[in-house]
Amino acid sequence: MMTPFPPPTPKEILARLEIFLICAGSLLLVVFLPLLNISGTIDNYTLNLWGKYLCYGILAISVDLLWGYTGLLSLGQALFFSLGGYMMGMYLMRMIGSLGQYKKPMPDFLVFLGWTELPTFWKPFDSFLFAAIMIVLLPSIIALVFGYLAFRSRIKGVYFSILTQALTYAAALMFFRNDMLMGGNNGFTDFKFILGQNLREPATQRGLYIATAVLTVGAFLICRWLTKTKFGLVQRAIRDSETRVLFSGYAAANYKLFVFVLCAVLAALGGALYVPQVGIINPSEMWPDKSLEAVVWCAVGGRGTLVGPIIGAVSVNALKSWATTEYPDLWLILLGGLFILVVLFLPKGIVGIPGMIAGAFKRAPKEEAPAEPAAAEPIVKTEAEA
Amino acid sequence: MKLRKFVALTSLAAAGLILPATASAADTVKVGVLHSLSGTMAISETSLRDVLLFTFDEINAKGGVMGKKIEPVVVDGASNWPLFAEKAKQLLEQDKCAVVFGCWTSVSRKSVLPVFEKNNGLLFYPVQYEGEEESQNVFYTAEAVNQQATPAVDYYLNAGKKKFYLLGSDYVYPQTTNLVLLEYLLSKGVPIENIGGGFKKDESGKIISAGKYTPFGHTDYQQIVSEIKQFAAGGKACVISTLNGDTNVPFFKEYAASGLTAETCPVVSFSISEDEFRGLPAKQLVGQLGCWTYFQSIKSKANTKFITDFKAWLKKSDVTGIVKDGRVTCSPMVLSYDGVYLWKAAVEKAKSFEVDAVRKELQGGLSFDGPGGKVTTQKNMHLTKNVYIGETKADGQFKILKTFDGVVGEPWLKGKFKAK
Amino acid sequence: MMNHQVTKAPSSGKLSLLLGVLLSWWLILGASAAPPREVIANALVAEDVAEQAKLVGSLAGQADPLIPQLLAKWKESEIYIYEPTEPAGPKVAVLFVGEKDADDKFAAVRVDTGEPLKDKDGKPMRLTTDEATSADTDANLRLAMKVVLDLIAVADPDPAKRLKVVQQMGLDQDLEKLPALEVRVAGEPDAKVQRALKEAIALLQLKSEDPAKQIAAAKTLATLGSIPAQDALKTVAREGSPPVAAAANAALAEIAKHLQLVNTYGTVFRGLSLGSVLLVIAIGLAITFGLMGVINMAHGELIAVGAYTTYMVQNVFGPGLALSPFGMKLHLPGFGATGAAYDAYFIAALPLSFLMAALVGLVLERGIIQFLYRRPLESLLATWGVSLVMQQLLRLTFGANNVQVDSPAWLSGNWTFFDVIFGWNRVFVIGFAIAIIVGTHLLLTKTHLGLLIRAVMQNRQMAACMGVPTERVNMLTFAFGSGLAGLAGAFLSQLGNVGPGMGQDHIVGAFMTVVVGGVGSIFGTVISALGIGVVDQSFQQILGNPVLGKILVLGGIILFLQWKPAGLFVTKSRSLEG
Repeated sequence: MMTPFPPPTPKEILARLEIFLICAGSLLLVVFLPLLNISGTIDNYTLNLWGKYLCYGILAISVDLLWGYTGLLSLGQALFFSLGGYMMGMYLMRMIGSLGQYKKPMPDFLVFLGWTELPTFWKPFDSFLFAAIMIVLLPSIIALVFGYLAFRSRIKGVYFSILTQALTYAAALMFFRNDMLMGGNNGFTDFKFILGQNLREPATQRGLYIATAVLTVGAFLICRWLTKTKFGLVQRAIRDSETRVLFSGYAAANYKLFVFVLCAVLAALGGALYVPQVGIINPSEMWPDKSLEAVVWCAVGGRGTLVGPIIGAVSVNALKSWATTEYPDLWLILLGGLFILVVLFLPKGIVGIPGMIAGAFKRAPKEEAPAEPAAAEPIVKTEAEA
Repeated sequence: MKLRKFVALTSLAAAGLILPATASAADTVKVGVLHSLSGTMAISETSLRDVLLFTFDEINAKGGVMGKKIEPVVVDGASNWPLFAEKAKQLLEQDKCAVVFGCWTSVSRKSVLPVFEKNNGLLFYPVQYEGEEESQNVFYTAEAVNQQATPAVDYYLNAGKKKFYLLGSDYVYPQTTNLVLLEYLLSKGVPIENIGGGFKKDESGKIISAGKYTPFGHTDYQQIVSEIKQFAAGGKACVISTLNGDTNVPFFKEYAASGLTAETCPVVSFSISEDEFRGLPAKQLVGQLGCWTYFQSIKSKANTKFITDFKAWLKKSDVTGIVKDGRVTCSPMVLSYDGVYLWKAAVEKAKSFEVDAVRKELQGGLSFDGPGGKVTTQKNMHLTKNVYIGETKADGQFKILKTFDGVVGEPWLKGKFKAK
Repeated sequence: MMNHQVTKAPSSGKLSLLLGVLLSWWLILGASAAPPREVIANALVAEDVAEQAKLVGSLAGQADPLIPQLLAKWKESEIYIYEPTEPAGPKVAVLFVGEKDADDKFAAVRVDTGEPLKDKDGKPMRLTTDEATSADTDANLRLAMKVVLDLIAVADPDPAKRLKVVQQMGLDQDLEKLPALEVRVAGEPDAKVQRALKEAIALLQLKSEDPAKQIAAAKTLATLGSIPAQDALKTVAREGSPPVAAAANAALAEIAKHLQLVNTYGTVFRGLSLGSVLLVIAIGLAITFGLMGVINMAHGELIAVGAYTTYMVQNVFGPGLALSPFGMKLHLPGFGATGAAYDAYFIAALPLSFLMAALVGLVLERGIIQFLYRRPLESLLATWGVSLVMQQLLRLTFGANNVQVDSPAWLSGNWTFFDVIFGWNRVFVIGFAIAIIVGTHLLLTKTHLGLLIRAVMQNRQMAACMGVPTERVNMLTFAFGSGLAGLAGAFLSQLGNVGPGMGQDHIVGAFMTVVVGGVGSIFGTVISALGIGVVDQSFQQILGNPVLGKILVLGGIILFLQWKPAGLFVTKSRSLEG
């Protein structure tokens, strides 16, 4: 559905410019922002906000790799994001120790539910290593099982979207229950320490920010590399015509399964870093509209570009932070209106704007295909056939 | 004459235009308002924003707090809990608000709590809640469980009720309330088989959850109502409902359709105030009970003045999206109102806006004669106040049946009542 | 007034004492000294609530038709207490009669004499509602009123009222009332009341001193399958002598069997009704999503449009409606209808909510969706944006709070058969669903438009080649689907809340229903809705936990779709493939 990355015309220059921009952007995020924070130019609050936005950015990348490159619109990414968050949350809850409201060496809500001893499945979460393994393992197992079943039955398109939404919805209902022993509606809050560091110290928050920035850049680079390999080519071919890929002898289901699991892990890592920075995880994070929101970030930034989703996540959330203060009554209208406009007039998102402007200047028909044909046309068809 | 008047007016107008931009430090004090103005909770919280703005205007018209005008900073939590934490950070770290009024749900309070503790801020929390919490950075003007649930049960026991059906939305407040009520009912000699809704036990057989729970946004109460109907068939039964705002509508519509009435099996709801009532099928609710620390129908000078002034303020208010017609007042609104005045009193007594100084005064026991009667602050950051039991009328108001004066707010209730 | 009657009342509380006294009064048909209207007037002005209840209670056994009339007025706060100020005098209870005049004044009639209220000069007085306070009642007083009215009602010509009274007497288990019931049971013509009388008598006899009578009573209750008797039987099983306890336990087991049967039938009915609700919600989606391939996330908000239209129609029939969207002042005048005319609002609301939602759908289709027919996944995003905007617009127009929609009297009762409750609203929704399905089916298969719709849905290009105006057909189909959503909204206003976010509660379920049924198949949607409804209710009944049931249903749907990826009924539609 999308033009392949990178855009055509004077390819070399553009490719170099692109590499330069990527390096500059990464440096800015990973090095300069924290430095500016240490020097006091950027306050802790803003840096913390950026940390949150970048976590959303990672989530958006995972959506993009699935949707923009493989044609799978998953409405379940918020589930994996929250699962990562919950696993991290369990570790953080254990680190509170006896400093909770009840002053007992157990999470408050368990004391409240009448537990006198820690339930067995909570015990290993004293170890950060175990929590870290679970952050990766649990979402991948769920993605593996669900993906295996779904792709084996060749569920695709809208069905896949709605099915992933059902999965997320069921999980959210489950986590809302107090009997689940995962904090119910209140979820986990009031974290105090991570790896022995006080979470309320600016230095700890800065460390978390840097980890998030590194992960964002890393996720971006890995996905970029992946999409440029032969694997990426098959991936896009599946997006454009799965039947033809099957006829060519590729096991499309395996490719999809791999991407689905990879994206689940990505989202979970984002979630794991998100929780200590915002200080809460509760089931409303996996409510169906959260997944939709992630898809929207991706669309706003520019789908099938990898960098677009990051830009989309940061800008939409920054808009939200600003509008909820300035225009509390109107921001939903702003946000909704923005989505409509983007879908109708900016099918390639913010990243596509320069291309559109360039396209407007060279309206005259040339021999090359225009830079932005209607996004709906499966234009990669030709490439896949080649 | 005319000229001078003109000059005075224009300069006033000019001052009005420039002031908000320039006058930040000297003669105003920033106060945060942190409620959901969009999303699912907007239904309840928007009214609290309105009443807070009204209170600030009322205080400003009389000279402000210690000579400083209140400058409200209104932000939207958007029913999104991480956003609540973000907004709390913004109010405390960016805007340096002296105090924040806000939150409705338990989870929003839990979400902002670490932020307030980290920055040593002060939050006034106005909505009935489950207790089991006591932070030095939150002042709970809210009703504790013993200021709503246990008085209501006393009322029922007095009226000769023998069977109690517990029903609630699945979150902390109903779960806690029902556990406390279970202990309370057992301590009053009600046999356990007369308590309906079901129990959940852990391996050792200890009850860890009592009552029937439905998720938020649940729309189908057919099965539960038919269960209640069978439960109540033998008479002398009542329902204690901690259902959350939205789900009350399908519940009561089903309840009425099944032929259950306030005479055969009354329902006392802890989450329906006059404000929620506006969205409920009033005729089908007549005679059901409510229990709060304020009702609009209270006959007192302070209340009459409060209602008239608030309505007059609404008429001329220019806040975007404010609803002007058919407004009512309710307990969370009055507790927000009381909170602002208590904070003002504490500031003026401490002669400082510093949180530590203000807290010290609040803990020392301040009183305020609010619309719901006299309220007094306690050492544990809760309020002593009157509790009223009322019966709903077709016009959406409550007829007050019983008053309990000066009930002390007690957040720690679990395990307090011992079964006979 | 009532001290001279002493009865041997058992110690089951003040109420039964009162009842006992009243009943014996009634049995000997003793006439009260003061005329009823005077007693009521005295009660109205009495200061003490207990005194009021006592005075009202003293009316028991009198058959004066004035009593129910006056008590009903009192209950509805339509009687006023007037306290003369110049000269100051005792309080007087008055009724306002006739129309109010230019000064908002009514003619006032004294309750105690039935004559006009006169001032010091003996002239009839006119009062405004502010000059007098309306008389209130509390639960205890209403209970006393109920007893008085009940005793009138036992002889009531209406069997339904007789039934209620008899049932209450059974539950009160007051042996003093046994003779009265036994007298009635012989001459009772109505079968239902007859059964209730038998039940009540048996319940009373459970309290008897004679074990033989108790055992016989337990047996009667068992054969009757009496659900209300369970509590009483449990008490007897706990406290009675061994043979009596055994009989009570046997009866309880028998009743439990009956209860299981009742619950099974009840579950099926509730399942069908939930299924019908799902169906009504999903049918519009089955058209826009199933046939056209548009993923309309704003479907929920179209439902809300229908519900709010119902709300507006209701207010136009009633007192009118004032709105203030974006600071503007809008006032819709009302007809001020009451009673049946007011209840008829719902009839008017049905077509109007269809039209209103169809109109909004039309705008949506022309404005946005027509550009997205080839991009179904993007229609999802754009319409989600629409749904956010619409929610906030509704909020800004009608307020963030839910709004009140009354149920017409003919939708708020129920019919109980074999102890299963058939709520009229539930029966109606089933009928409504059938009507909508039949209507949609006829439209699609029997009309010219239906033919065109099907042609366009099966192959748009080919249809266009044959000269079908595809644009117009798309527009009309989408508007029709949206209109159905509006109808669903009108109906949901009778079952649940009407608020800006109401659509969100239903959207996920609606999509599930359509997908399970098979996209493009209306019949599939019907089967899947009813199936999901019955399964959901069965889980609820078995597990006793509404959330677990819902999760299991969702899990079941996910697994089901692995087995049948295209849903129950596969239709050949090209719109969603590729």
